[in-house]
Amino acid sequence: MVLKRPPEAGDILQGTLDMLILRTLVMGPAHGHTIAQVIEHTSENALEVEQGSLYPALHRLEDRGWLTSEWGLSENNRRAKFYRLTARGRKELGAATGRWRKMTRAIGLILGESNE
Amino acid sequence: MSLHRFTHRTRKDKDLADEIESHLAHEQDTNTARGLPEEEARRQARLRFGNPRVTRERVWRYRSLPWIEDGWRDLRFALRSLAKTPGFTLIAIIVIAVGIGVNTAVFSVINTVLLKPLTYPDPQSLMQLMNTGPQGSFPGANIPKFNIWHQQTAIFEKVAGYDFGGAGINLIGGDHPQQVQGIHVTADYFSMFGAPVIAGRTFTAEEDSPHGGRVLVLSYALWKSRFGGNPKIVGSTIQLDGEPYLVVGVIGRSFVTEPPGDLWLPFQFDLTSQDMAHYFTVAARLKPGITQQQANTQLKLAADQLRRIYGSNAIPPQGGFSVVPLQESIIGDTRFPLLVLLGAVGFVLLIACANVANLLLARASARNRELATRSALGAGRGQIIRQLLIESLTLSLSGGLLGLVLGFAGVRLLLSISPGGIPRLGEDGSAVALDLNILLFTLGLSVLTGILFGLAPAISASRPNLSATLNENGNRSGVGFRHSKLRSALVISEMALALILVIGASLLIRTFLKLQAVDPGFDMHNVLTMAMSLSGNRFQKTAGVTQIIHDGADRLKAVPGVIDAAAGNGLPLQGGFGMVFDILGRPKGNTPFTGGAGFYSISWSYFNTLKIPLLRGRNFTEQDNDSAPGVAIINEAMARHYWPKGNPLNDRIQIGPGAGPAFAESSRQIVGIVGDTHDGGLNRDPFPTMYIPLAQMPDAETALNSRVSPLWWIVRSTADPHSLVTPISVALREASGGLPVAHIRTMDEIEVRTTSRQRFNMLLLTIFGASGLFMAAIGVYGVMAYSVQQRTQELGIRMALGAQASNLRNMVIGQGMALTLMGVAIGIGGAFGLTRFLASFLFGVKVWDPFVFIVTPLLLTVVALIAIWIPAIRATRVDPMTALRLE
Repeated sequence: MVLKRPPEAGDILQGTLDMLILRTLVMGPAHGHTIAQVIEHTSENALEVEQGSLYPALHRLEDRGWLTSEWGLSENNRRAKFYRLTARGRKELGAATGRWRKMTRAIGLILGESNE
Repeated sequence: MSLHRFTHRTRKDKDLADEIESHLAHEQDTNTARGLPEEEARRQARLRFGNPRVTRERVWRYRSLPWIEDGWRDLRFALRSLAKTPGFTLIAIIVIAVGIGVNTAVFSVINTVLLKPLTYPDPQSLMQLMNTGPQGSFPGANIPKFNIWHQQTAIFEKVAGYDFGGAGINLIGGDHPQQVQGIHVTADYFSMFGAPVIAGRTFTAEEDSPHGGRVLVLSYALWKSRFGGNPKIVGSTIQLDGEPYLVVGVIGRSFVTEPPGDLWLPFQFDLTSQDMAHYFTVAARLKPGITQQQANTQLKLAADQLRRIYGSNAIPPQGGFSVVPLQESIIGDTRFPLLVLLGAVGFVLLIACANVANLLLARASARNRELATRSALGAGRGQIIRQLLIESLTLSLSGGLLGLVLGFAGVRLLLSISPGGIPRLGEDGSAVALDLNILLFTLGLSVLTGILFGLAPAISASRPNLSATLNENGNRSGVGFRHSKLRSALVISEMALALILVIGASLLIRTFLKLQAVDPGFDMHNVLTMAMSLSGNRFQKTAGVTQIIHDGADRLKAVPGVIDAAAGNGLPLQGGFGMVFDILGRPKGNTPFTGGAGFYSISWSYFNTLKIPLLRGRNFTEQDNDSAPGVAIINEAMARHYWPKGNPLNDRIQIGPGAGPAFAESSRQIVGIVGDTHDGGLNRDPFPTMYIPLAQMPDAETALNSRVSPLWWIVRSTADPHSLVTPISVALREASGGLPVAHIRTMDEIEVRTTSRQRFNMLLLTIFGASGLFMAAIGVYGVMAYSVQQRTQELGIRMALGAQASNLRNMVIGQGMALTLMGVAIGIGGAFGLTRFLASFLFGVKVWDPFVFIVTPLLLTVVALIAIWIPAIRATRVDPMTALRLE
């Protein structure tokens, strides 16, 4: 039985997290911990990745064929699973970024109008 | 979405666990780099990540199909829990199997007869041409009608005439002569029905004209059985009635006709004939885009046209033509009885459902604690209902599977015992085949049944009062008020439904007994009958037929054990032809003739052999031949109907006025009156009937007769005539110069055949009624037994307080009988409303037959009393000490 999951407070919107993961991986393969750190540092710690959501998201993206993964050795010389962006993932990132820009512009317009 | 998502879940979970471990290690590294001590670094890392198990569960669930997964788990659980109570499971499955089995059986007949389309291409456009009139419509055609219909090219693409095998044909040659069914057809027959030709060709138009030559087309069955499937048979000649016939083609196995035929012959109509007797039927294929209604409008004009040409002899003033779909015409009047049977089996299924629902309620009560525990552990109400529904569906589907087997085997068995005279079922029901329709019907019914009997118990069981139930010690709490009310309602409805079924069955049994008690008007026992086909040249003249009857009767009387022998063109009970007649010197008013009556041509010893009593006048003698004055004998019904006061023996009749040249003859003196026989079946009043000596028929009539009907031989013996079949057949073959006989049956067997429809209905409804009664008895037994068991403690206390055993027994019986009587009352009411649907099945019994309506409820009450008696006696055996100690 699927239990209804209450929305997690402070969570990044699901679609947004997917986009951020894809964007992070443009710079090259990385493992989950690095991805979370990069997102947090790049956003100047404004965004906090709920780590319980990160891995389900990674697995979902892999199932959709946007990422591939393989085990390797990390910078700390530890075993880690590295994710790599696929061609389809790159295309999806382009589309997702476009959708995001359009939406933020639209919201910006509305907010701008209401400010005047 | 790819299927990867749902595969290798365990391996992927392990991978994820490793991944999380790796993540925590990296986080710990980061924390250590920030200068935290190792222990604290690890603690912070775990704190930050949260519970790894929650993440793993989220991914796990993401990879699952919850509905199927849970269903699968519930199914395994259901199987385990059903296996724990094998007695309950077995009874429930058997009850469901009976309920679904009878439905599958009846549905498989309905499927074959009513639902399956005819096997010809584009069957919807095939129509049967009918004659309409104030009394209803009937098929039947003569050449003038055929010509008129054939000209209606605006509505018909093709028109073809055919008969039903008529007299039968003698296939001579090879080791054994054989009588086969040869269907006469017009040339367009095969193309109209889309018959597949697997060798050779069908008839040409030239071959289907007078003097078109002797040609025939073989059926697949005869080709295989008689000629070993030899393809060279096409183009060779075979002997029919002593004449060589050219085989021009063979038709494929898939071509089915009703009734079946062995070979086809061209009609070779003389299209100028003005003969008005009906001796074949006509079907037509509508032109594309023409509706039945348009065709009927056009046919009205055709009927007027026919009347203008031939006068009202050809078609009565209020008569006309119409078309009905061929399938409808073949099904005839069997639709309604089949639907009534379907209604009856619906009742059986409802009883089965109520029965199983009752069992499930009892079971659910016993499982209250289990369900309450599950509920306390967090199972939602929906989950419990689903769990219980899956259990009931498991039961109903297993029962349905068993029912499918039972029902299908049962219907084949039943049809082989009593075919019931239903069309389209093939030889002994061989056309009833398992197909997708039947499988889907049974599957659908099983699911519906499972939900029907499972839902109420499931909903009621999913409302446990947690703390009350869990605090109970032992399982005596079970039967709550709500449960017992529901269970009582179920038992009452079972009783009511069973009573309706049993009343219906009793009415049909009474009908059957009444039929058996009808005096057939002759002595049926120790009489053997058989058909001899008189096709061939020497039977075109009356003298040839007289000769063969004379020789045959002589030979037969010489067979030891034979008392008397006769022949005729029809048999009592089986019916024969009808013919119009005039009474000489009596004014006809505005009708074209005095009236119509059954018409038999018989040998002079016919009445003696069958022991049909002579009431007045004299019998035929051997001297009533073609050189003697014409005579006729009529039956009592005819005398009563047409001579209510006068004396028929003073009158002469003219048979077949205006029926065409074949029936042109001089008038006949009525010389005798004989007793009535029931020629339309035992359930119909005797028809007015006239008899003439075969030896006095005009040659043209004999020729027509030989073509459309076989000669029936009737032999009375001293003992069981079955032992005489071989000597009689041999004697007739010798007397006739090698003609075979077919349809060898005793008169008793013919009687069984004529009542087979009633027998079929009676058998079925009796089976349904008995199973309904049995299930209802189990139902009331179950409820009372359960109630006694649940009230052991109460009974013990009553006993300890001084109640007598007989008091307790009477209390239980009283409660059980209260349920029964309520059911009986409702059932009688229901039966009053429903038995009128049986009206057309009944004979000699009213739909509200007081005998049935009194005896049947009594029977049901007695059966219920027996079922209640057992738990009532058990109630008196409760040991007060044991009962109290249960506390």
